[in-house]
Amino acid sequence: MSLAETLDKPAFDTSPRDGAAADTAARRHTRRPGPSRPTALGSVLLGLSFPFALLVVWWWAARLGLVPEQILPAPATIYETVSSLITDGTLATHLEVSTHRVLVGFGLGAVFGLVFGAAAGLSPTVRAFLYPPVQAVARVNVLAWMPLLTLFMGIDEPLKYVVIGWSAAIPIILGTARGIENVSPAFRELGRVLHFNTRDTLRLVVLPGAVPSIFAGLREGLANAWQTLVLAELFASFEGLGYLMTWGRQLFQLDLVIIAMIVVALAGLAMDLALRWVERRAQPWKRETRDVH
Amino acid sequence: MNAPFSAPVPSIATALPALDIRHVSKAFVVDGKAVEVLADISLSVEAGSFVSIVGASGCGKSTLLRLILGLDLDYAGDIHLDGQPVEGPGPERSIVFQEHRLLPWLTVEGNVGAALLHSGLDAAARRRSVAEHLELVGLEAFAKAYPAQLSGGMAQRVAIARALANRPRFLLLDEPLGALDALTRLRLQGELKRIVAHEGATAVLVTHDVDEAVFLGHRIVVLHPRPGRIAAVLEVPEEARADRSSPTFVALRDRVLELLGVSLGEGRAR
Ligand SMILES: Nc1ncnc2c1ncn2[C@@H]1O[C@H](COP(=O)(O)OP(=O)(O)OP(=O)(O)O)[C@@H](O)[C@H]1O
Ligand SMILES: [Mg+2]
Repeated sequence: MSLAETLDKPAFDTSPRDGAAADTAARRHTRRPGPSRPTALGSVLLGLSFPFALLVVWWWAARLGLVPEQILPAPATIYETVSSLITDGTLATHLEVSTHRVLVGFGLGAVFGLVFGAAAGLSPTVRAFLYPPVQAVARVNVLAWMPLLTLFMGIDEPLKYVVIGWSAAIPIILGTARGIENVSPAFRELGRVLHFNTRDTLRLVVLPGAVPSIFAGLREGLANAWQTLVLAELFASFEGLGYLMTWGRQLFQLDLVIIAMIVVALAGLAMDLALRWVERRAQPWKRETRDVH
Repeated sequence: MNAPFSAPVPSIATALPALDIRHVSKAFVVDGKAVEVLADISLSVEAGSFVSIVGASGCGKSTLLRLILGLDLDYAGDIHLDGQPVEGPGPERSIVFQEHRLLPWLTVEGNVGAALLHSGLDAAARRRSVAEHLELVGLEAFAKAYPAQLSGGMAQRVAIARALANRPRFLLLDEPLGALDALTRLRLQGELKRIVAHEGATAVLVTHDVDEAVFLGHRIVVLHPRPGRIAAVLEVPEEARADRSSPTFVALRDRVLELLGVSLGEGRAR
């Protein structure tokens, strides 16, 4: 459920620095040439090198006939299939259907999650009311609810929007509420000293302090949305990338399965990058303090 | 900075002390046990007067400032400002916290400007005040920088500008010059003295620097720890405040150090 969470748990630090000494110590620390940190381009290349190596191994294995074609089609076969799927427009259709479902579902989940997360973060009463059920529900995969949900809403598009939105909303609720609760008490106190009204406090203290956690929730919610999409399309759909996978598996056309997997991964990654971009835009104070070197 | 210091003009002749702390005691509950941090503190400060507080680490100086600010109302005794009991923070009081406490997401000018949001000034006047105060602390070139781009001392100067921007009548300073280099520190000591005198503000300064306490304060309050209590209140003669090398200055400094338990035999602190 939480691939994004385990992969890059962000280290939030919204608390004020503990005195000037710690401040200078931290600054000095970042200046020290540590174990060589990859540059931006370097880390992209590093990230691409593993899939590339895998591709090379795969290609050789296929060439030497180490794996039967029915189990793992050669990269060349995949390439041919992809080309024909692209030229006849099939891939685009499936991708569009799936993307649309993810966007609508995620959008619903995000609105719902942000509103409820903010309410839970700001009001202990709402939190006490909302958290136990949310946490209980979060423990049961949304797909387990599908049979029940189909009774109410059939197996058409609304069902997919609801399950995708549901799976996305849970980390967003938790991330938003946690971000707001963890806003530094020192800054809240500063707000009182500076006579902030509620609006100032939300605008200048709570929201900026909660942004990292909110975005962590959004990104995890987006990852959930894609995972749920595929499973929902396996379960009940006649188009979409998940359907393409089922279809390929039933026909023993594993090239279709692999292509659908890769496209899902790439689409998810692209959307995650877009979210990260928005996150950076939302926090100019972090953008400007990145190391130049 | 070296201009002869003129005594604060007693603006309004008032019988009431501007700040009146009466028999204040404060305890924190730690692990279910009440730990007394301040014990029976009484102190009156008349308007326009500058009080320095010195005392060992952990003797409750920051706690006392929080009580004066009205951030914590859970204590025994009374604190009055101009005859009114303190019921919470007020616009006439401002503080430089011990740590700079700048909002990381606001630029330097944004941080200083945040103190003026409810000052009643229009936008142009606010901008002017921000610029003036940044100039005062020598950071006008960093108006658009974010706190993470500043050194510790620079951040502290921004915090000073923020505390002064709203022209408070009560200025609470919690080791405001701690992270500064010696030269900037001397200059800002002069500036603080001048501003407080010029605005007729009432100031309470917490410091570990005894020279600073003598140079800035009309009076020095020496606290003893566990629980924090007043060991002595020393008047600072004008001569000592005016000249750091005068015999009165040196004598007073030594007296304070002695009260703090520093043995003056060898290694005289500063
Ligand atoms: N919120 C709190 N809960 C429990 N104990 C506290 C709290 N705040 C302060 N204390 C205790 O009160 C005592 C005085 O703290 P305070 O911060 O006022 O000291 P200080 O004189 O400002 O010290 P320093 O010179 O190191 O800044 C300390 O022993 C501290 O542990
Ligand atoms: Mg302190």
